[in-house]
Amino acid sequence: MRLYKKEGNTIQILSFPSDNVEKGDYLLIEDPRVNKKLITQVIDVQFASVPGLLEELLRDSTTEQSVHGEVFDPLEVSSHINHIQDAWMLLCKIRGTIENEKLGVNVSWLPSRSKSGIKKFSIPSLLTHMINNGNLPINIGETKEESRFTINAHDLDGKLNIVTGKKGTGKSHLSKLLVLGLVDCGATVVVLDLNGEYTNLGFSSNGEKNEYHDRVHVLTPGASLKVSLAQMDLKVMLNILVHALNLPGTSTREFRRIWRSLQQRRAFTLQELGEAIRSWNCNSHVRDALFSRYYSLLNSGFFTDNVAEATTFEKFFEEIRKGGALILNLRDVSSVDRQIVVEYTLGKLVELLSQWKIKAVFLFAEEAHLYLRETYWDDIVTRMRHFGVFTTFVTNQPDTIRENIYRQADNIFLFNFTNERDLETVSRAARVDSETVKSIAQDLPPHYCLVLGKVVKDFPMVVEVRAFDVQTMGQTRLFFTDKN
Amino acid sequence: MKNMEGEYFQPNKIIFNQTATENFEDATPVLGTHDSFTMESIPLKPLLDDTPVAAIDISSIKIGETETGVLCAIRGAIVWKKKNRYQYLRLGPFPFHLTEENKKEIYNIFRRYSFKVSEYASAPSLLNMQTRIGNLLERWLQLGISCSAYDSVILWDGSLTAGTVDSPVNAISQLLEIARNRLNTILAFSKTTNLRLLGYRLTDLVEKSDPPCLLQINGFPIPSGPVFPLGNVYVAKLTHGICSFRLDIDKKVPRERGIEAVQKLLGSDLLIQSYPETLRLAHIFSTFTATEVIGIQRFIAQQYGLKIIARPNVRRLLFGPFGKGSEG
Repeated sequence: MRLYKKEGNTIQILSFPSDNVEKGDYLLIEDPRVNKKLITQVIDVQFASVPGLLEELLRDSTTEQSVHGEVFDPLEVSSHINHIQDAWMLLCKIRGTIENEKLGVNVSWLPSRSKSGIKKFSIPSLLTHMINNGNLPINIGETKEESRFTINAHDLDGKLNIVTGKKGTGKSHLSKLLVLGLVDCGATVVVLDLNGEYTNLGFSSNGEKNEYHDRVHVLTPGASLKVSLAQMDLKVMLNILVHALNLPGTSTREFRRIWRSLQQRRAFTLQELGEAIRSWNCNSHVRDALFSRYYSLLNSGFFTDNVAEATTFEKFFEEIRKGGALILNLRDVSSVDRQIVVEYTLGKLVELLSQWKIKAVFLFAEEAHLYLRETYWDDIVTRMRHFGVFTTFVTNQPDTIRENIYRQADNIFLFNFTNERDLETVSRAARVDSETVKSIAQDLPPHYCLVLGKVVKDFPMVVEVRAFDVQTMGQTRLFFTDKN
Repeated sequence: MKNMEGEYFQPNKIIFNQTATENFEDATPVLGTHDSFTMESIPLKPLLDDTPVAAIDISSIKIGETETGVLCAIRGAIVWKKKNRYQYLRLGPFPFHLTEENKKEIYNIFRRYSFKVSEYASAPSLLNMQTRIGNLLERWLQLGISCSAYDSVILWDGSLTAGTVDSPVNAISQLLEIARNRLNTILAFSKTTNLRLLGYRLTDLVEKSDPPCLLQINGFPIPSGPVFPLGNVYVAKLTHGICSFRLDIDKKVPRERGIEAVQKLLGSDLLIQSYPETLRLAHIFSTFTATEVIGIQRFIAQQYGLKIIARPNVRRLLFGPFGKGSEG
């Protein structure tokens, strides 16, 4: 391999197929004169633009189609010519330097073109140069060199993460791995499980209970997740009415008064609320509006007057104090009810965090655009983060996540995307250049993921996500399964 | 090649897309105006008898320079069309390290094979060696085809002018005779010609004739001196289009048989812009591309441990951006 060109932070390296370099590989350019090494990552492998190649190919194509013959080449010069034809140009991005065996980001120097040696730099070797921030490893999978690839739970702590990729590439699988990895590290995890994919995390693939069984609690709204009005904070209730049920302003004001009156009477039941609305002295339109919302709350099945039946998050969080996950199974829950549940849950989380009843929560949100209201996006990356809600968004539609989320994301676990628009969206992430995202993600095979951000100290790495023995629920139900 | 191991070498700066040095096609000197000649247009009809057509071409190219000499490579190609199928044989590339010490030996090995002569001849200057050994390889291939083909049309690239160092009259006459004895007809196509009549380029005279046709010019003066035409000179316009070529047909072949050979060519080979496909392919297969030159340089560097050096360009040093053109 020879250093050919440098433009900005892009380096072009002449290579040959025998070098066996692939996209995502790291190369070390070592300049012996200055005793410095430049770390670069291959983001694209192209054919070298060799002069005269077009003539060569035209001539060969003539030969292939209609002309047959032999070549008498006793010196076997042709093999050298073919070698030149197959030459590669590796497009690499500069990621850092190694100076005195220490990893650095100072890339203000340029290695010698004639003197520098270039060799492959394995990910395990790169990882040995990185400073370890802690000792809470989460085993994600394997690197190309078949060495174990772990991230540190500390690098997810207080961070905003995105897991994205097109359908069937393994995003949910990775997020389950992260959930269980965090649970292993003693973290509290809440999953907004849109399709009920996480509900069997406590079972092995053979249906038996696994080591996580007692640490994973599945809450299904209307069944195992019900709340009483007494547990509700007015603010949370107003959020539900305004954002999930679109209650107009005037009616909201009246509801606030009704709620206060119930509060004074200590009569927080659904029946009392219905009675209060009926007897409340207000405009009939307001009453109608309040009644329609009241029936929506009633029909959601999420609310109960039976205190024994009501779920207390505090109890569950206490149970998983040493690490566990609460799975909110939103499968088969209507869009409005889903929003009601999420509004309540997030409100409750903030309440518990602000009262220091729980330390912090890792929130996993699958396809969040389907239940997260507009104003929550900013809230999640700013206010809620400070309270201790560290969110991981999981989506196959990257454009449903706002641009500012990408810009502020600390870690991105990127699976394959072929659609350029999707790649364009993800490439807005601030932690990596857009070329890397577009070029590498496009060619990732299923279950391979490009890890970007703090977990890899901003050295993008391609990882094959490992398999694990958990009963999966994310598989699509098929019609023709039995016909094979 | 082994005499250069471990030396330094300066790779030749190839002007890409430029074809390699070809054998010179038109050794006949420029003729002045001449008034005692006649021109005859001969209409042609394709003869569809599936006559085998064979064509030979070679290329040579300078690869670089060493401290002691010149590195060059030559390659030959033979293409033949038989039963509606084109086939080819590429010979080479053969890289040579030509030095003052070995040039005589190399030159005479080629002469011995190509002209079947045993006496030693003095070698040309190093500057001309590349062209000379290329031409000798071409003669050797021509000889091989003349000996092996039968009742075929053989196409040469160039003219049938003899009397130059590369084309001794005896050797070429003998070559033509071998071909004639095996009922082969040699047709030599020149892509360019210096021949002019009344100030007009010879190939322009056929413009108004309907193709396929030959234009025969009778009464060309036989030039004095060593250069001697062994063929009758025609202008061939074999298809519609802007191109016509000088065509030499062996003088000793009866006129009718010569014209018949062209008609056989018309019936047996594909012609594009009046140029036979077989000869075009021979040219394509022998020509060096820039990639190949780099490949050969790599072969030499790897096989013989040559170290590449960049010699300063004197013109550039002296004239800066005005120092264009090749060094020298």
